[in-house]
Amino acid sequence: MAERIRGRVAPPAESAKPVAWSRAFEGAAFALRTAATALVLLVALDTAFLAFFPTFPRLADNFSPAYLAREARQLAASRPVVVLGDSVLWGYRLPVGDAAVTQLRARDPRWVNLAYEGGSTANTYAMLRILDHAGVVPRAVVFNVNLKEFNSADSAYDKLYPGVERLAWPLLDAADRGKLERVEAQTVDARLNAGVESIWQLYAMRSDLREALFADQDAAHALQDAFEGWNGTAARKAEAHRPTPDKFEGTYDLSPLDDSNTGVYFLRRTAGFLRAAHVPAYAILTPANHKLLHDYIDVPEYRAQLSFVTKLLGTYGVRVLDYDRTFAPAEFLDNDHLTPAGNVHLARLLGRDVAL
Amino acid sequence: MVVPGAVDVRTVLRLDPIYRLAGSALTSPYVLGAVLVALALGAIVFGPSSESRFIYTDF
Repeated sequence: MAERIRGRVAPPAESAKPVAWSRAFEGAAFALRTAATALVLLVALDTAFLAFFPTFPRLADNFSPAYLAREARQLAASRPVVVLGDSVLWGYRLPVGDAAVTQLRARDPRWVNLAYEGGSTANTYAMLRILDHAGVVPRAVVFNVNLKEFNSADSAYDKLYPGVERLAWPLLDAADRGKLERVEAQTVDARLNAGVESIWQLYAMRSDLREALFADQDAAHALQDAFEGWNGTAARKAEAHRPTPDKFEGTYDLSPLDDSNTGVYFLRRTAGFLRAAHVPAYAILTPANHKLLHDYIDVPEYRAQLSFVTKLLGTYGVRVLDYDRTFAPAEFLDNDHLTPAGNVHLARLLGRDVAL
Repeated sequence: MVVPGAVDVRTVLRLDPIYRLAGSALTSPYVLGAVLVALALGAIVFGPSSESRFIYTDF
C-alpha cells in the first residue's frame, strides 16, 4: 500500500526533469509574450498620444518638461511672436480665452504664450535658452519685467520652474547656475523617474494629460474642488482671499538695484542674449495697481528701480513698454493681475505697440 | 450544493464578464499584456500627482 502511494505521489526521477523544464519553458514563453504584447501596445499608444495630444493656448498650471520640449520643437518650424514672463501675461485666475495673449492669438496665430505662474527674469532667460536649443527663431520676443520679482523673498527670484529647470540646466553656464537654487530633487528615485520619462512620452506628459482631462493637477483635486464649490467652501476661501494693502507689505524690496541682484543679473543675460540673436525684443514694465499699493510703491525708490531697469534694457536695444501706470484700479484683480477687461486693454496695447 | 430558490450572485451583479476576463487574462499572455497596460494607464491618469510642482503664492 505504502509503495503504491509513493509510486503515485513521487514519479520516477528520470521523468521529473523534462516535465519541470517543459513547465519552465512554458512559463518563460508566457511571460515573454505578455511583455511583448504590453510593449507593442505601449509603443502604439505612445505614438498615437504624441500625434493627437493637443497644444494648449497657454502652458498648463503644471506643465511638464516633455510638453515644453514638444511645443518648442513645433515652434521651430515657424517664426512665432513669443511671449515670456509671469502670471500677469499667463492670465492668472482667468479662463484661457480671457488672457490677453489668447486674444492676440485669435487675431494672429503667430502669438504664442509661454508665460507661466512663477515667472521671473531667471525663468525668462532659461526659457529663451530652451527655445534657442530647440532651433526656434522668434519673429519677436515680448516679456514682462515685474519689480516684485527682484525681491529675494519672491518665490521665483532665484528658482526656475521645475520643468524649465530640467531642460535648461544643461544649457546654462556655471555663473548662471551659481545664481540659482536648484528645485528638482537629485535623488536616485528622481533620476530613475527622469529615465522612464525620457523613453515613455505618455508618462512624461502625465501632468499635462491630467490637466487636459480634469482641469486640475489630478482627479482627487478636481473632485475636491467640485465638492468645495458645491458646499460653499470655495466661495468662503475666495472671500477670505481678497487683496488688501496690508497683504502686500514686503512684496516689493525697494533697495537700489545693482548687478548683485539675481533678477538684474538674469535681466542683463536676457537682454544680451536677445541682442546677440538679433531678435526684436519688447519688455513690458508690468502694470501695477497704484491705488492698492500706494503706501509701498508711490515713492522715489520705486521710480528709481523702474528707471534702472529701463536704462539697462535700453543699452541692449530692448524696446520698453511702460505700462506701470497705464491701467485703472478697476482693471486689477489684485496688485498686478488683470481682470478680463484689463486683459482686453492689455491686448489692445500690445497689438498697437509690438510691430510685426 | 444548490439551494432551491437561491439567487446566483454572479448573475445578479453581472460579474460573469469580469470572471471571464480574469480567467482569460490568466491563460492568455495577450490579454494579460493588455490588462497590465490598461492598469498602468489607469494609474497614470487617475493616480495622485507626485511630480515636482511650482507652488505659486500670490499674496
